[in-house]
Amino acid sequence: MRFSRAILLLVVSLTLVSFAAPAQNKKRGRVAKPRPPLPVVAAIDTENLKTLLKESRQKPLLVNFWATWCDPCRDEFPDLVKIDSDYRGHSLDFVTVSLDDFTDIKTSVPKFLGTMNARMPAYLLNANDPEPAINAVDPKWQGDLPATFLYNDKGEVVYKHFGRVNATELRAAIDKLVK
Amino acid sequence: MRKVSVLLAALFVIAGLVIATNGRALEGEVPTAPAIGATVDNFTLPDVDGNEKALSSLKGKNGTVLIFISVQCPVSNAYNERMEKLAQNYKAKGIAVIGINSNSTEDAAAVKDHASAKGLTFTILKDTGNKVADKLGATRTPEAYFLDASNKLVYHGRIDNNQNASLIEANDLRNAIDASLAGKPVEKTEAKAFGCSIKRA
Repeated sequence: MRFSRAILLLVVSLTLVSFAAPAQNKKRGRVAKPRPPLPVVAAIDTENLKTLLKESRQKPLLVNFWATWCDPCRDEFPDLVKIDSDYRGHSLDFVTVSLDDFTDIKTSVPKFLGTMNARMPAYLLNANDPEPAINAVDPKWQGDLPATFLYNDKGEVVYKHFGRVNATELRAAIDKLVK
Repeated sequence: MRKVSVLLAALFVIAGLVIATNGRALEGEVPTAPAIGATVDNFTLPDVDGNEKALSSLKGKNGTVLIFISVQCPVSNAYNERMEKLAQNYKAKGIAVIGINSNSTEDAAAVKDHASAKGLTFTILKDTGNKVADKLGATRTPEAYFLDASNKLVYHGRIDNNQNASLIEANDLRNAIDASLAGKPVEKTEAKAFGCSIKRA
């Protein structure tokens, strides 16, 4: 009798375990759901930044300078991502240049871009002294962030804005070039 | 003939308007800083306790450093220790350091609490309505102006080249003060760095 009770206990235990196991697997499966990879942020030095901005190109180029520590930069980012998705494929290139610390290139910068679903090519300025880069972009720029520049296909600045962008104004400037 | 003249005049007016409009779009809203060598006029602002203070009463015997600072800006905060050290190091040399907070998002109470928490002992003025920031063309934090004994602008720009203290290669503000104190010409009168934009009213 004691033996059969032990058998019964074993069967009940095994049954419970067999029910529990798939549930655990399911739970694990939910946790392990593949996340989209973080955007790749490329380092760019001052010389390459100059080349990127000034060269002649097939399409107009929009460049946004930003940093994760800059409140208005984070605030305007959804507008920029929307502009990128609306104009991508309509003859506009768009790149972002982060001025975060170089050590953030694989951490907070791609993480933020990932949360924003930003798909434009992303760079981070690798320069110990930022002054040559600021002057190369615009001698009148003091380095305040954010700053947004629109270049035509000849590499000339046709629109610039310091501080949080006004999306309507920026779109109007882009429309003049791409339509 | 008269019609042609009217037409030409109208075309000139339209062309002028187009050029003017493009010009504004390109220039943005950046206030212009006084030229190096220009005299900065006296101004009065309240300190964090609401007491009106004039530049003329706060200025140092041998010069004055005005630094636009912020409570929340991480770049400005990275310089707290360096700014305090600057004030301490140059006090005996007759140089006064004055902080100015022009951010509309940070009130006097927040500025006072921040200074206390970060150990900033130099005078900090609250520039409500960013009047002084506009007058000096200040756009970011931190941004420094060094005036000589007669309030002439000697240096304008960054404190040094890197917010990370271990990467400093150019102590531009200190170099300008030292040269001025030694009666030598300042080699680099302007220098730039990235910073948080001043939140104007």
